[in-house]
Amino acid sequence: MTITKTAALAAILATTATAALADWPADRPIEMIVAFAPGGGTDIMLRTLAPFLEAELDTQIPVLNRPGASGEIAYTALSQARPDGHTVSSLNTPGFLTMQIGRTLRYEPADICPIARIVEDPGTFIVQAGSDYTSLADLVAFAKANPGAVSVGTTGVGTDEHLAMLQLEQAAGIDLTAVPFGGANEAKTALLGGHVAMIGLNVGEYTTSDQGSFRALAQFAEERSTLAPELPTAKELGFDVLMSSERGLAAHCDVPEEIRARLAAAVDTALANPEFQEKARQQALPLSFKSGADWQADMPVRLARYTEIFKLIEGGQ
Amino acid sequence: MTFIDLLMLGFSEAITPANLAFCLLGALLGTLIGVLPGIGPTATIAVLLPITFFLPPLAGIIMLAGIYYGAQYGGSTTAVLVNLPGEASAVVTTLDGYQMARQGRAGAALAVAALGSFFAGTVATFAIAVAGPTLSGFALSFGPAEYVSLMVFGLLAATILASGPVLKAIGMILIGLLLGMVGTDGATGAERLTFGAIELFDGIDFIVIAIGIFGFSEIIANLERSGSEGVKLAPLSRLWPTREDFRNSWGAVLRGTGLGTLLGLLPGGGATLASFSAYSLEKKVSRHPERFGTGVVEGVAAPEAANNAAAQSSFIPLLTLGIPSNNMMAMMLSAFMIHGITPGPTVLTNQPEIFWGLVASMWIGNLLLVVINLPMIGLWVKLLTVPYRLLYPAILLFCCIGVYSMNNRIFDVILAAGFGLLGYAFRKAKCEPGPLLLGFVLGPLLESNLRRTLLITQGDPAIFVERPISLVMLLATVALLGLMILPAFRRTREEAFQEEEA
Amino acid sequence: MAAPTGTGTGDRPDLLSAGLFIGLGALGLWMGRGLPFGTLAQMGPGFLPRVVCVLLIAVGLAVGLPALRRPAQAIEAVRLRPLLVITVAIVGFAYAATHLGFVLAALWLVIAGSLADPGGRWRHILPLAAGLTLFGALVFVYGLGVQVPLWPF
Repeated sequence: MTITKTAALAAILATTATAALADWPADRPIEMIVAFAPGGGTDIMLRTLAPFLEAELDTQIPVLNRPGASGEIAYTALSQARPDGHTVSSLNTPGFLTMQIGRTLRYEPADICPIARIVEDPGTFIVQAGSDYTSLADLVAFAKANPGAVSVGTTGVGTDEHLAMLQLEQAAGIDLTAVPFGGANEAKTALLGGHVAMIGLNVGEYTTSDQGSFRALAQFAEERSTLAPELPTAKELGFDVLMSSERGLAAHCDVPEEIRARLAAAVDTALANPEFQEKARQQALPLSFKSGADWQADMPVRLARYTEIFKLIEGGQ
Repeated sequence: MTFIDLLMLGFSEAITPANLAFCLLGALLGTLIGVLPGIGPTATIAVLLPITFFLPPLAGIIMLAGIYYGAQYGGSTTAVLVNLPGEASAVVTTLDGYQMARQGRAGAALAVAALGSFFAGTVATFAIAVAGPTLSGFALSFGPAEYVSLMVFGLLAATILASGPVLKAIGMILIGLLLGMVGTDGATGAERLTFGAIELFDGIDFIVIAIGIFGFSEIIANLERSGSEGVKLAPLSRLWPTREDFRNSWGAVLRGTGLGTLLGLLPGGGATLASFSAYSLEKKVSRHPERFGTGVVEGVAAPEAANNAAAQSSFIPLLTLGIPSNNMMAMMLSAFMIHGITPGPTVLTNQPEIFWGLVASMWIGNLLLVVINLPMIGLWVKLLTVPYRLLYPAILLFCCIGVYSMNNRIFDVILAAGFGLLGYAFRKAKCEPGPLLLGFVLGPLLESNLRRTLLITQGDPAIFVERPISLVMLLATVALLGLMILPAFRRTREEAFQEEEA
Repeated sequence: MAAPTGTGTGDRPDLLSAGLFIGLGALGLWMGRGLPFGTLAQMGPGFLPRVVCVLLIAVGLAVGLPALRRPAQAIEAVRLRPLLVITVAIVGFAYAATHLGFVLAALWLVIAGSLADPGGRWRHILPLAAGLTLFGALVFVYGLGVQVPLWPF
C-alpha cells in the first residue's frame, strides 16, 4: 500500500469519523441511564437536568431507570453500550468506588469515565421524630450495650449509608446491623413504621422529606452543609465519619474526547442557568460542579481509604 | 376549613377547563396504553414527565394520575377480549372474562368491569378524602415480617385460582418463584440463574412472561384446533349485562372494593394481590365455586373492582406520608418534586388545593372513563366478529411491538417466544398459568423481606409469631392449608375438576 | 420428558407436568450450584433458589408417581405447523426489527405468521400485512415514540 493510498484511506476514515461526530448528538436521542429507582435523589436530579441538557445540545434525552446491585447494573449497561456518545449514565460515589472492593464486577471500572460532577451531598443518619435517640451519643451508648441490636436501613451493599455505618462502627467501637432496602423511599417507610431503628439518607433527601416525622442525628461532611446549617457534623461530635454522596454523569471512556468535553460543557452551562438553579434550590440540591477530569483525579485516594475501612471491618468480624 | 369546604375547594380546582382537559387527556391516553399490550403506564409517565414541567403543578399531576388509572381500565379490555393480561393485576380477569367472551358475553363482561371499577374508584377516592391519614397508619404497620407472612398467605391462596389439582398449582407457583429470582440479587449483587445473559441482569419482565404464556401460546393453541376456521365464538347474545348479572355481581363488587382499598395501601404487589385475593374470596364465599373459571360474572366483577380500588388507594401513602408505594407512585413523586412540592402532611395543610384538587380530579376522571368506555364496548365487541385469520396477525404484531418497546431490545421478544413454547407445553400438561404469574410477582417481595426480617432479628424467626398482624396471617395460612388437606374439601375440588373435564 | 411406561396406565398430561417440574427444578439447581447458601441470619443469594428447586422436584415426584398408576390418558395431539411457524415468525421479527427496520419486520411477521393458518389466502394476507404495518408505524413509532428504525438504512 502506497503512502498516498494510506493517506487517502486515513482521510476517508477521518471524514467519516468527523461526519459521525458532526452529526452527534442530533442524529439520535441520548439515553440517560439512572442507576436508581424513580423518585430517588439521583433520579429527580437527572430528570430535572435532562430538559436543560436537551435544550443545550438540541437533542432528546430519555431517562431510563436501571436500578439494582448498588448501581452495578447501570454501569454494566453503560460499559456494554456502543461508545458513540448516545448513552450516558448517572455516576455515584462512593458506590462506584466501593463496589470495586472485593467484588467481581461484570464491567471494567476503568471503562467508565466521569463527565461531570453535579452535586455533593453529605450523608446523615435519621431516626423517627419521637425516637429515644436524641443525639448520636445516645445511639452509640445503646449500641455499645446491645451489639447488633440497632438495625440501620441502607440502600444496598457499599452505598454511602452502608459505608457511613461502617465508619461509625469503627469510630465508636460498636456493632450495628445493616438492612438493605430497594431505595430511600422503602427505607423511609420502614423507619416510619418502626421496623428499623435508623436509616441513612443524604442531607438533601432529609431536608425535602417531611420535617415533622424525622430527626437527623449528625451529618458526615467536613463542614456543615448549607442545606442543614444547624445540624452538627460527626467530627464535631467526636466521631471520625466522613461520607458525602457525589452525583454526576459518566460515559464510556471510548467515547471520543470531544464528545465528552461537549457533554461536560453542556452540564456546566445548565448548572449556571438561573432557571435550573431555582429548581435545584426547590429540591434542595447542593450543586457543586466539578469537571470529569478533576473528579476522576479524586477517586484513587478515596478508593484507598474505603478499601482500608472495608478491610478493618472485615478483619474485626 | 370543614371537610365539605375542602371538597368544594378540590372540585373548584379540578373543574377549571384546563384541568378538566388534562384529566380527560390523561384518562384517554391511559386507556389507550392499557389496551395495547406491553406498553405500560410507568414507561408512558416516564416519557411524559418532562412535558409536565411546563404545565402548572396540579394540571401535570392530574394528567399523570389519569394515565395511571386509565391504564387500569384499559388493561382489562384485552384480558377479556383476547385473553391477554396487560399487567399483573389483570391476570385474574382473564380467567372468567375470556370465557364470557367465548360465550358471546364479552359486552356484559366489559360493562360489569367498567361499572364495578367506577364504583370501586368512587369509594376508594372518598376513602382517600375521609380517612387518608388513618389508612396510611395501616400501611406503616406493615414491616418486613408482616410482608413475609402476607406473601406466604397470598401464595397459598393463589392455588385457589386454578381449577385443577392443588399440587399442580403449587408446582406452577414454585416455577413462578424461580423465574422471579432470575437476575441480579438486590442484596448481594450476585448474578443468579441468568445463563450469563446480560439482558437478564434486571430479571425477566412480567410482560415478557404474560405475553409469551398467555398471548403467544393462546394463538398457537387456537390455530392448532383446525386453523382459523375452527375459532368460532358463540354469537353475540346480548351487549349489556342482564338483570341477573347485576344481581350476581354487586356483592362481588362490594367485597372487591373493600379488599382493594386496603391492599392497595401496601407497597409492591398491592394491586395484584388485591385482584387475585378478591377472586379467591369470591370463589370461597360463592355457593357454586365449581363454576368459577367457566365464565361467571362475579369472577370479573370482583378483581376489576379490587384492582381499581387499589390503584386509587395506592395514592394514600404518597399523599399523606410522601412515600411512594410502587414504581408508578415513585414517578408521581418525581412529578411533585420537579414542581418543588414535597408530598406529605405539610402539603395537606399548606397547599390543600393540590391534595383536594387531585382527589376531586380522580373522581371526575373515573366518571369520564365510564362515560368514554361504556359506548366503546359496542366497538370492542365488534372487534371479536372480525375473522380470527385477520385478528391473530394483528394481536401477534401488537404483542411483539409491546414487548420490544419496554427496553428497546430484541432479546425480550425472543424470550417471549420461548415462554410461548413453555406455555404451550403447560397447556398440553393441563397446568394453568395463573398461579405461575402470581408466584413470579410475589416471589421477589417474599425473598427480600424474608432477608430483611432475619437481618433485623439476627436470624431469630420467632418474630413471625410475635407480631400480631403477622401471626394472624400465618394462622390464616395454616387454616387455609388445613382446609385444602381436609378430604371433604378435596372431594369438592375433584368434583369441580371432573365437571370441567366433562 | 417423562416417558410413558406402558400402554394401559399413565396419565400423560400429569406425567408431562411432572417432567416439566422436575426438569426446571433440576435446571435451577444446576444453574445455581455456585451460589453461596449463607445462613438464616445472613441469607446468601443461593438460599431461596435451592429451597424452591428442591420443593419443585418434590412436587414433580408427587404429581408424577401416582400418575404412573392411573389409567392411560393421552395428551392432545400436537400439530407442528402453528407451533413452528408462529415461533419462527416472532424470532424473525425480533432480528429484523433492529437490523432491517420496523416496516420489513412487521411485513415479515404478518405474512409469515399468516402461514400458520392452513386456510390463509394471499389476497387476504397481503392487504392485511400492508394495513397492519402502516397502522403500527403510525400508532407505535410516530404516535407513542417506540424507538425503532423504520427502514433498513
